[in-house]
Amino acid sequence: MTAAPTDMNDLHRQLDALRPQLVRFAQLQLRNQAQAEDAVQDALIAVLEKPERFAGQSTLRTYVTGILKFKIIDTLRACSRERQIEGAEDQSDDDVIDALFKADGHTQEMPRQWGDPDGALEQKDFFRILEVCLEKLPANTARVFMMREWLELETEEICKELTMTSANCWVVLYRARLRLRECLDLNWFGLARSNKG
Amino acid sequence: MDGIKPTCREVHRLVSEGMDRELSLVERTRMRLHLVVCGACTRFDAQMGLLRRAMRSAPPPPADPGDEAQP
Repeated sequence: MTAAPTDMNDLHRQLDALRPQLVRFAQLQLRNQAQAEDAVQDALIAVLEKPERFAGQSTLRTYVTGILKFKIIDTLRACSRERQIEGAEDQSDDDVIDALFKADGHTQEMPRQWGDPDGALEQKDFFRILEVCLEKLPANTARVFMMREWLELETEEICKELTMTSANCWVVLYRARLRLRECLDLNWFGLARSNKG
Repeated sequence: MDGIKPTCREVHRLVSEGMDRELSLVERTRMRLHLVVCGACTRFDAQMGLLRRAMRSAPPPPADPGDEAQP
């Protein structure tokens, strides 16, 4: 069954509206503008070629994002040999971890209670800040973190792709989470709470 | 293992590693017993949960439900 032309126009419009956000996330993962745009383009074409596959079982955004993740995994695999991870980047700075704890191993400060961002507008702001925080991560750290948490790859697979040891992978992920936590706490949860009183 | 009673430093690390690998029974028990009595680690655990949920739902839906349909 072919979709009616008006439906196709509508689909085109909806996909166009999604494109910038998809490119931004692909870019956060791949750290390469051209590859990010190619992956998104491939994902959008895949949807347009077989629109009947998207039967409204999820939102269009969820559907395209799912396809995009596969395209990105393909891209990562295709060029994993060129982008060997250099362990040095985030290796030596234990500061991120050390700064959190006193000498006796207790936390320096009580972590703040984070509420879930409520409502669509608040979520939109939250994700904007999350993106900024992801951009601030060192490139290799961000790549590992995005592979784990956005592409939802298993740690073993990430280690294999990037030729890292599991232990190294876990530490990189831990550091990424601590950095993101600090960034979100400062730029989102701190503000959200002071605005609400 | 750093001692008889785990420190927040150890439990923070276990909370994160527990997201990436299966913890051993001993690690899980140490972590859980500590979480019962430690507000700081419990909050950290909740923050890590929210971070994971946020990443898995990214990119977010547009703020206005009409946005996706607009050029």
